[in-house]
Amino acid sequence: MPQKRISIRIDGELVSTVEGKTILEAARDAGRRIPSLCHMDGLTDVGACRLCLVDLGGGGRLAPACTTPVQEGQAVITNSPRLLAYRRVILELLLTERNHICSVCVANGNCELQALASALGVTSVRFPYRYPNLPLDLSRDRFVLDQNRCILCTRCVRVCADVEGAHVWDVKGRGIYSRLISDLDQPWASAASCTDCGKCVQSCPTGALAEKGKAVEEMVKQTWQVTNAAERKRAVL
Amino acid sequence: MTPIADIGSFNAAREAGMAKLQPAAPRIGVGMGTCGRGNGAEEVYRAFAEAIEAHGLDIRLAAVGCFGACSEEPLVNVWIPGQPLVILRHVHSADAARILADVHQGRIPPDLAWCKIEEWDHITARIRYGAGFPELPQWSEIPFFHGQKKIVLRNCGLISPDDIDEYIAVGGYQALYKVLIDSRPEMVIEQVKAAKLRGRGGAGYATGLKWEFLAKAKDPSKYIVCNADEGDPGAYMNRNEIESDPHSLLEGMIICGYVTGTQQAIVYVRAEYPLAVHRLTRAVEQAREYGILGPSVLGRGVKFDIELVEGAGAFVCGEETALIASLEGFSGRPRPRPPFPAQKGLDGKPTNINNVETWYNIAPIALKGPAWFTETGSARSAGTKVFSLVGKIRNTGLVEMPLGTPLKTFIYDIGGGGVGECSIKAVQTGGPSGGCIPLEMFDTPVDYETLAQLGSIMGSGGMVVMDENNCMVDIARYFIEFTHSESCGKCVPCRVGLDKALDVLNGFTKGAGNSAQLALLDELGRMIRDTSLCGLGQTAPNPVLTTLRHFRYEFDDHIIARRCRAGVCDSLALSPCENSCPLHMNIPRFLGLLKRGRLEDAFESVILDNPLPASTGRVCQHPCDMRCRRLTMDAAVNMRDVHRFIADSILLSDHFDAMVARVADRKLPPTGKKTAVAGAGPAGLTAAFYLALLGHDVTVFESKREAGGMLRYAIPEYRLPKHVLEREVELIRRMGVKFEFGMPVSSAISLHDLDEQFDAVFLSIGTWKESWVHLPGTELKNVIPALLFLEGVASGSVSQIGRRVAVIGGGNAAVDAARTALRMGADATIVYRRERKEMPAIKEEVDAAEHEGVKLQFLSAPHRIVGDPKGNVRALEIVKTRLGEYDLTGRRKPVPTAEVARVECDAVILAVGETIDLDFARGSGLTLRENGTFVVDRFTLETSRPKFYAGGDVITGASNVSNAMGYGKKAARRMDEALMGVKRFQRLSGGFDASEYEAEPATEIARQRPAELAPAMRVKSDAEVVVGLTRGQASAECGRCLRCDVRA
Ligand code: SF4
Ligand code: FES
Repeated sequence: MPQKRISIRIDGELVSTVEGKTILEAARDAGRRIPSLCHMDGLTDVGACRLCLVDLGGGGRLAPACTTPVQEGQAVITNSPRLLAYRRVILELLLTERNHICSVCVANGNCELQALASALGVTSVRFPYRYPNLPLDLSRDRFVLDQNRCILCTRCVRVCADVEGAHVWDVKGRGIYSRLISDLDQPWASAASCTDCGKCVQSCPTGALAEKGKAVEEMVKQTWQVTNAAERKRAVL
Repeated sequence: MTPIADIGSFNAAREAGMAKLQPAAPRIGVGMGTCGRGNGAEEVYRAFAEAIEAHGLDIRLAAVGCFGACSEEPLVNVWIPGQPLVILRHVHSADAARILADVHQGRIPPDLAWCKIEEWDHITARIRYGAGFPELPQWSEIPFFHGQKKIVLRNCGLISPDDIDEYIAVGGYQALYKVLIDSRPEMVIEQVKAAKLRGRGGAGYATGLKWEFLAKAKDPSKYIVCNADEGDPGAYMNRNEIESDPHSLLEGMIICGYVTGTQQAIVYVRAEYPLAVHRLTRAVEQAREYGILGPSVLGRGVKFDIELVEGAGAFVCGEETALIASLEGFSGRPRPRPPFPAQKGLDGKPTNINNVETWYNIAPIALKGPAWFTETGSARSAGTKVFSLVGKIRNTGLVEMPLGTPLKTFIYDIGGGGVGECSIKAVQTGGPSGGCIPLEMFDTPVDYETLAQLGSIMGSGGMVVMDENNCMVDIARYFIEFTHSESCGKCVPCRVGLDKALDVLNGFTKGAGNSAQLALLDELGRMIRDTSLCGLGQTAPNPVLTTLRHFRYEFDDHIIARRCRAGVCDSLALSPCENSCPLHMNIPRFLGLLKRGRLEDAFESVILDNPLPASTGRVCQHPCDMRCRRLTMDAAVNMRDVHRFIADSILLSDHFDAMVARVADRKLPPTGKKTAVAGAGPAGLTAAFYLALLGHDVTVFESKREAGGMLRYAIPEYRLPKHVLEREVELIRRMGVKFEFGMPVSSAISLHDLDEQFDAVFLSIGTWKESWVHLPGTELKNVIPALLFLEGVASGSVSQIGRRVAVIGGGNAAVDAARTALRMGADATIVYRRERKEMPAIKEEVDAAEHEGVKLQFLSAPHRIVGDPKGNVRALEIVKTRLGEYDLTGRRKPVPTAEVARVECDAVILAVGETIDLDFARGSGLTLRENGTFVVDRFTLETSRPKFYAGGDVITGASNVSNAMGYGKKAARRMDEALMGVKRFQRLSGGFDASEYEAEPATEIARQRPAELAPAMRVKSDAEVVVGLTRGQASAECGRCLRCDVRA
């Protein structure tokens, strides 16, 4: 079925796109970056991080660009002062939720959270750090899971389920006590469903899932192994 | 049971039901909802059953649902053939036998009977019970029911939920039958649309539109879901609806199934509702047996069935996508929309979800049409809504009201107003995600749009009433704690944002907070509201945002003054009594010290907290009594009389000089700062005392000849002997305070002079002008304002007032004036326009006045004073009033009736309140409010002019002694801080050794009351009426203290 071309406005600029795309995709096609974190090309979107929120006008609710389809005549605002302020708060919340200490993180310099924070000018946080006491799972031979760096974007959960089809990962608990678990909340090494493919590690935007043996700053995620690396890097900025 | 396949068998079921509902013998129905059972309904039922069995009575017994009046449970209804149905309340199992005996003889026990129902409109049918029992009120005359309109609850409490025949007897399944026979499904959808029925689960989306989507969805396997996973704390309307009338729910769903072409339905019911699950299961079974569910509904060839799924009861499952996830076996986390459930819902199939209550409206609409339905409710929100009315309110329960009914109708008419003497200040609607609406907005009509405008929601219909004992900061914290623990954790704003908000709020309630955090909380709240993925997060900040908007001052209290007026946040108070005392006296300390026999230490503790302990010990309104925890056991500790005892024992004894010296020893070194106090009333004296102790030079300017203000000139000798007050003033003088009498500020010494000569000035000139009423006849001789009268008596210039005196007013001045007149040999009558309980005067004083022979006329508004040609008063004409609507202070407005009465008298005293002397205020050049009071900073008491502070009645309007003193104390502290640049106030009261008054278990003795002169003796002189506690009584009273100041 040939896709119908439609036009929408993004921050006032007329953009031509095709029906069925999300606002996030349409914007990217037009060379406009809407910050995103839980979105990853090739995975089903869940609209969880709320960074990609855009304003569709009319005083209605803000809509996540990653899950909202384009519609003829839509007028999308992606960078109002309110949106920018909200995005900064979201990053402040993520940075204080767990223990993101970049200077000792394997993903330092290659972390999507860090990159967004610097792109959006989050240089300090106004909320107290929670400093939760969270475990590391070092049981697996090649990979580690460091809960301290996890932002619960569930990209690993989805890549494992949607792409690898293994369903190793899930989230237990709720609210602030949500935790990533492997299989039935057992050590990763004893998760029988794991195929050791490493897709989760390459999909993780931070240093939460990493390859063993990497030192600080050494963990460069090969997200392209799952989708296209170039796309990802630009999307982050 | 045979399936119903035609109208004949339908009618047969109907008749069978009618025979059960109105048998040939009397029928007794026991309300057996969860609420009834919780109050002992099961025992009541059993007692009836056993007695009927034992005596072989021809009386039918049925278990019915709940009639909604939870505070009156257990409810029982009784029908004697030919008579009205009578509702009995507070029935205990012990009553069963006598009820049966009475019923057997055609009577109703009068003490249990509450109201009667002669005819009931089940909407789907009318049932006549009969006329009779003229002495009983109609159900609709009971305030709790008056104005309710039972559409959803049409059958609740009247029929047996376990019996499908009874449901059919009251017109049940008739709408379904009609819809099937008409076989025009689109028309039914149009009707639901035209009826403007909106989802009752909270969001208020148009039900008809949702049905239309579903009808248009071509997929043959689509779903109807009923959300019966009621998760709001305190909300139980859905539970009650299902428990009392499960078939109405089924009927609504079957109709929807037919008109949208859907064959499968699911009821997602909360597993914590075992009784609802049980009754629903039965109802489904019965409906299947009757062929109402199954392959051919009512024999019309339409297939439809309902499955029950028990949910684990997560609040987030109120969100439809989360509910679907839960039904599919995933954890209950919402999913982004689009796709909407109407396109891709359960198992990817088109799905329509409606809340329980929505379904209950379907059969009535299908039967009576949209025009009938829209007659009830407001323009945009038709019909009724069931609310659970709970909290600090007299009548609690489930009420069904037309949408658009003003909040105050719920609170005052249905709810009966506040509990005890507490005044209501807010209502929270919509459960944990709703907002708090303040008293000033109780005119608000309750509908979807208006509530949303106020930052609240309709939600599922929770209404929690809050009074002055609720702390709004704590309320906000409580609700955030709830949503925080229910957040699914999927999206960042809700998961982490609520955690931060809770953190900040926890800090506020513990006295750790600042204004920057307040601003941050506001920003965070808006952000969570605007960015969260689902309804839970989007509405969770409502309690915070609305309390910030409407109760900002309570947040400021917590952050700036570190005080919680309601006394809820206990880290901010020493004890409830300390918190409620305007002077914040360390009450447990002086009680503890006196108990150990340390009278002098106790005195030191008292005087450092309160420089007029003997006067306040006599005339304070004692708010501490209202807050004492001992109140819940027997009676409050008599703190006021104990500190009076302590003060009297020193002030009136030869220990006086020694103790004065001990207090003076605490003075801080001279600071060289000069301070002035204008007005030597309670506020001024208090400020002067502390300023002197703090080492400042203090001069008090007073227009009168002596110190004491109202204490001296308005409060009569028999309540506060002058010599007692004089000792207190002497103590203050000996702290180094200089008095300049006959020096009214502004005429004798100008504010400019004060400004020049002093480093800081405290203005506390009080309210000395009697408000004047516009009443014909006030120009007559012997019409006198109360203050002028009392002052004249105090200074000896007035010695008689006629033989019969009428006093207009209900405050302390009115009572004082009447009792003083009595002592001058007159006959006194107090005329007040409201009821006794609303008199602002101290209750004990009103009682004492009555004992002495003062007559009290309530609900009487002065109309005119009748005089004779010589200009003498002859009588006071009054118009009787009745209590009308509630005004926004939560009191009922007195409205005049046609009844006029006369109080014969030859003098009239006006005690309608005092106001500030406007000439002075205007001349001061300070910023004033409309009523003439000074504008000051609430926390520092600074006026608009630098160096000048104000407190007491000049900022509040006429208040009372201890409030005024509280301001004097606060002003001294703030002035000192400003003068010295450091906080030094705490240094004054240090040095008490806590081991000297360690807590011991409280004793069980009753509250000690001070001896009083006999009423007959009192009126003969102005000797003090209340003699005071004896030493033994006082120390016994100390032992009653529960020592709330000691924390684990
Ligand atoms: S708003 Fe709260 S409950 Fe809703 S998705 Fe986000 S985290 Fe879950
Ligand atoms: S990228 Fe859209 S919500 Fe996370």
